[in-house]
Amino acid sequence: MNPFSYNGGVCVAMKGDKCVAIASDHRLGAGRLTVGTDFPKVFEMGPALYLGLPGLTSDSLTVVNKLKFRVNLYELSENRKIKPHSFKAMLEHFLYEKRFGGYFIAPVIAGLDPDTDEPFVTAMDMLGAGETNEPFAVAGTAEESLLGLCEALWEPNLKPDDLFETISQVILNAVDFDCLAGAGATVHVIEKDKVTTRTIKTRMD
Amino acid sequence: MGHFDPYDDNGGTVAAIAGQDYVLIASDSRLSTGSTILSRFTPKIYPLSKVTVFACAGFHGDVLTLVKQLEIRMKLYVHEHGEEMSTKAMMALLLPTLYGRRFFPYYVRPIVAGLDREGRGLVASYDPIGTPEFFDYVIQGSAENLVHPFLNNQIGAKKTLSDVPIQAPPELTLEKAVKLLKDSFLAAAERDVYTGDTVTLMAITAKGTETTEYQLRRD
Repeated sequence: MNPFSYNGGVCVAMKGDKCVAIASDHRLGAGRLTVGTDFPKVFEMGPALYLGLPGLTSDSLTVVNKLKFRVNLYELSENRKIKPHSFKAMLEHFLYEKRFGGYFIAPVIAGLDPDTDEPFVTAMDMLGAGETNEPFAVAGTAEESLLGLCEALWEPNLKPDDLFETISQVILNAVDFDCLAGAGATVHVIEKDKVTTRTIKTRMD
Repeated sequence: MGHFDPYDDNGGTVAAIAGQDYVLIASDSRLSTGSTILSRFTPKIYPLSKVTVFACAGFHGDVLTLVKQLEIRMKLYVHEHGEEMSTKAMMALLLPTLYGRRFFPYYVRPIVAGLDREGRGLVASYDPIGTPEFFDYVIQGSAENLVHPFLNNQIGAKKTLSDVPIQAPPELTLEKAVKLLKDSFLAAAERDVYTGDTVTLMAITAKGTETTEYQLRRD
């Protein structure tokens, strides 16, 4: 069985006007069996920095713990909060350390630069090959659906409320076409000094 | 010794929307094999009668053979009955045509779009061995996974699988449907390497057929 789709789940992030949003579904599966419906895959790594980790759940949790450790160490030695692009570099190096036998995850990062408030969004593969310069990032078992929806629904300079609506429609309609994802979704909208977290309902089948 | 390999996948995407008094069908025009582009202008869309259009992704050799066969069947029908086959009849005919080759199938992803006798839109899609589906919109081909959720979102998310409309609601005018399919193909061409170059849209109403073309990405 494919470790990337064993537990199921999706994550999507997109840029807005001085804001970013990141969302994930709530399903936790074991093959075709659903074992949990309260399992968001987005983790807080800083005040305006979030990491989405769909993929093999055991690996996701391991990576979050190990990465949080590195982030703490970084912030103690640098005496400042980590910036999104440094966090991306850290994750890339961390993943490539396991070049031959990596973690079965598909990371998505969303954050705001603490100095410039510039939105930051990126996705990478399990070995840390990150893609930059895209206004949205998708990962997980409904990757193609998410990509098609983002491409059709996203537009530049969305305000926080419109960004929330857009990303919600994207994740809602993508997981409706994926048996391995769904069971509700969590959406974080990140603005300067403010993060709004909302839970949205989806079909439960 | 290379062995006989009768199939290829030539990519491409086709889609259709059935309205209350129109039907809209679209196809991109790229023909590819692997990472090679064979043609930038081969729209995979074939009118079979005044009110019925066939469009098909998959292996182009099989597509051409299938179209030829359907055209022959349409011609024979006209000679026998003195009128063209209805859209419903053509949709019914495609099933045994495909299933007749159950164990050496045409490698095709066909859709049929047309008006019924009352002038309402009808669309159907089939798998390579002829299983039909009748919905208010259909999409087949290399970008179907990208576009299907978008059309579902815009035309009306289905609440149950047993109560699916076969025509889009009256609010979806022909103009809006054209915009939707155009946007769908623009989005598909952005991310699917097998879809691109141009999109051909055919709108069929009681007044007749109108064909338009739009440019897509060429990379």
